[in-house]
Amino acid sequence: MLDGERRSGAVGWLFRVVILLAVVSVAAFAVLHAVPGDPVIIALSVQNLPVTPETVAALRAEWGLDRPLAAQYLHWLAGFLSGDWGVSFRTTRPILEEFGRRVPVSMALGFGGLALALVVAVPLGFAAAVRPGGLADRVARAVTVLTQAVPAFWLGLVAIWLFAVELGVLQAFTGPLSERLVLPILIVALYSLGSLTRVYRAELLAAVETPMYRTARAKGLSRPAAIWRHCHRRGLFGLLAALTPEFGWVIGGTAVTEVVFGLPGISQFLVESIGARDYFVLQAYIVVIAVWMLAVFTAADLLGRVLDPRVSR
Amino acid sequence: MSVPFVPLRLGVGAAALLTVAMVGGPAVGQQPATVTVGKTFLASSLDPADGSAGWALTSHGVGQGLFSVDRDGRVVPVLAETVEPDGDGWIVRLRSDRRFSDGSPVTAAVVAQSLGRTSETNPAARATGGALAFTVIDDHRLRIDPERPVPVMASLLAEWPMVVYRQTDDGPVFTGPFQVASFDSGSELVLSPNPYYDEDVDRRPDVRLIRFSDAQSLALALEAGELDLAFNLPVEALARLEDDEALTVRSFPVAYQYMMWLNTRRTVLSDPAVRQAIDLAIDREMLTAAINGGEVATGAFASSFPFAGDAPRPFDQATAGNLLEEAGWVDTDGDGIRDQDGEDLTLDLHAYPQRPDLVSFLPVVEAQLQAVGIGVSTFVTEAVSELAQSHDFDLLLWAQHTAPAGDPAFFLNAFLRTGSGNNHAGYASPDYDAVLDAMAETAAPQDRTTLARQAQDRLFADVPVSFLVTPSWHYGTSDRLAGYEVWGSDYYILRDDLFVAAD
Repeated sequence: MLDGERRSGAVGWLFRVVILLAVVSVAAFAVLHAVPGDPVIIALSVQNLPVTPETVAALRAEWGLDRPLAAQYLHWLAGFLSGDWGVSFRTTRPILEEFGRRVPVSMALGFGGLALALVVAVPLGFAAAVRPGGLADRVARAVTVLTQAVPAFWLGLVAIWLFAVELGVLQAFTGPLSERLVLPILIVALYSLGSLTRVYRAELLAAVETPMYRTARAKGLSRPAAIWRHCHRRGLFGLLAALTPEFGWVIGGTAVTEVVFGLPGISQFLVESIGARDYFVLQAYIVVIAVWMLAVFTAADLLGRVLDPRVSR
Repeated sequence: MSVPFVPLRLGVGAAALLTVAMVGGPAVGQQPATVTVGKTFLASSLDPADGSAGWALTSHGVGQGLFSVDRDGRVVPVLAETVEPDGDGWIVRLRSDRRFSDGSPVTAAVVAQSLGRTSETNPAARATGGALAFTVIDDHRLRIDPERPVPVMASLLAEWPMVVYRQTDDGPVFTGPFQVASFDSGSELVLSPNPYYDEDVDRRPDVRLIRFSDAQSLALALEAGELDLAFNLPVEALARLEDDEALTVRSFPVAYQYMMWLNTRRTVLSDPAVRQAIDLAIDREMLTAAINGGEVATGAFASSFPFAGDAPRPFDQATAGNLLEEAGWVDTDGDGIRDQDGEDLTLDLHAYPQRPDLVSFLPVVEAQLQAVGIGVSTFVTEAVSELAQSHDFDLLLWAQHTAPAGDPAFFLNAFLRTGSGNNHAGYASPDYDAVLDAMAETAAPQDRTTLARQAQDRLFADVPVSFLVTPSWHYGTSDRLAGYEVWGSDYYILRDDLFVAAD
């Protein structure tokens, strides 16, 4: 009976996902075609080709832009589902290939930054909760203020100047990719660290008000030990909730960092594609990001059920 | 008991991770095994028939054509020996000693095949002479029949799409001093010396070309010792880099011109007197100051070309004011803006962010035109090609390489001939067109120079376009390339004289 309910729930979920992705793809298609700027003229200009009525008409026909919108959409959708995402007119390479080699770079940057932020946020947030107003609390607050006040590109340039120019401890642009990722990951981590630390700290301090914590203290546990044993789990829930939307920008949200550090990631590629009105790239991206966010929220939901079985019930 | 210290251990672990990551890099000042070059552009494809790939491959020292343009702006033979007229067509004689990087000879058949394919697939290759028909005469001679008359075929063959290549199973091969070793589109290109180029092949280094999206990062990479050549440095970094004894920083005037289209379709700007007043009201010295470099334009072409104008374009606000007054534009209400029949003399002025220098010009031009009583609203427009094609502007700042193949006809025809596709100003002048017609019938360089100057004089009088500044670009080299000089705008950055200095 329970299996039947689960199966029915899964089918319903799948149905909703398909509807949602269909709506997203139609919306993406419609909005991109409504945006000012003729991609054909831009493409010809970008490639230093003459913009004449003949060249415009020829390229429009080649891309299928001379057909009715519905036909264009269906043609694109059929190709997308069969793995033919089209060709980027800006780079003249298959879009799927571009995504395939750029997304891993952005993911390494985004996941690396979030992981590092998480690793630092937990001890820092813990120390801040153990002694509110203490040194760790002030550091966490300072990081939050710094990252809200200072643009990422400026901090990135300062980091390059300090570590590559002045100290010379790494090659920020010409070293192997693993070495080139060190500073960008630090920057990304810094920008997530403040908020994650504050969230974790706030959850711990909220848990300190619960009877469970007071009982533990009455039994003689020190404040740090009581917080770790009886409040930490709640803190992790808070971090999970805060991290879920953060994963959204892992694909496409680190453009500034990628530009400054010259990383061949998907975010920089997207920004350039937007400037060039590279429709097919942007359409593909919107659908990919929709699928990605669905996957992230589903994974977060499942993880929440594992951490707290009451959610499932 | 140790439980509370778990988070502290995590923190220590993170710090250790960071430390290892930071000190694990190579030693300071380590010399790269190859020459590393940073640029803000990179070939997007290795197929020269593909968009502007021919230009990029030539700039990277990989591609070559039958003809090229030398440092003094003259068209010179490269893979060809001569090109001679023959009835309505032309006969090209090839050099017999040139080979592709796979060792195969450059024959008339291969040249005809590659240029024929490019002419067929790339509209830019048809811009000057229309479709080109190639006929092989023998191993070293071929005939070219252009669809439209071409007075100087050598110039057409020096245009950037006309790169000669041979298709192989492993992709195209070229004849330049460097060959492609590996290619990561849009981010990195690794080159090695072409073993069949000349006897200096052993002296040439391998080259690693890296694309930078941010000019400040490019400057920092040079400063950090990661680059041997950084091309197109930002002006604001120059002073700092010049203080570094390990670096050589140079600036050079380029063949691009910064100009301003005046839309003659607009009622106000249909009056030549108003256009002349605008041209005279702009202090170009102030524009060069705004971008910390460059020269006042002498006309449509950079001063290095023989067909450039003789003198810097004039600045005379008093005459500009008089011209406006004679045209009936007077400030009757004392608001600082001239008016006529109740209408203020106000204009829209556009620039585009892809050329940041032009954006820097906006407030300067606005202030100077306001000084003679012309109100200006400024706009930064990203989709500038569409704006230009829609003719929905009064004044439009523009950057253009005006002699990409060393000949003045391309720009004068493509952008200003009556009814031409890129005639953004809507200029129509039978007198001007007659000069261009004469140029189409004239092959002698001196005569073409004279005609190009006549055409420019016509433009100076009619002012459909105001020529503003010939910009300077900046590059820096490490000690290893201290003697290497870049010229030819961004068309020939890596050449066959790229050698590493002896220690």
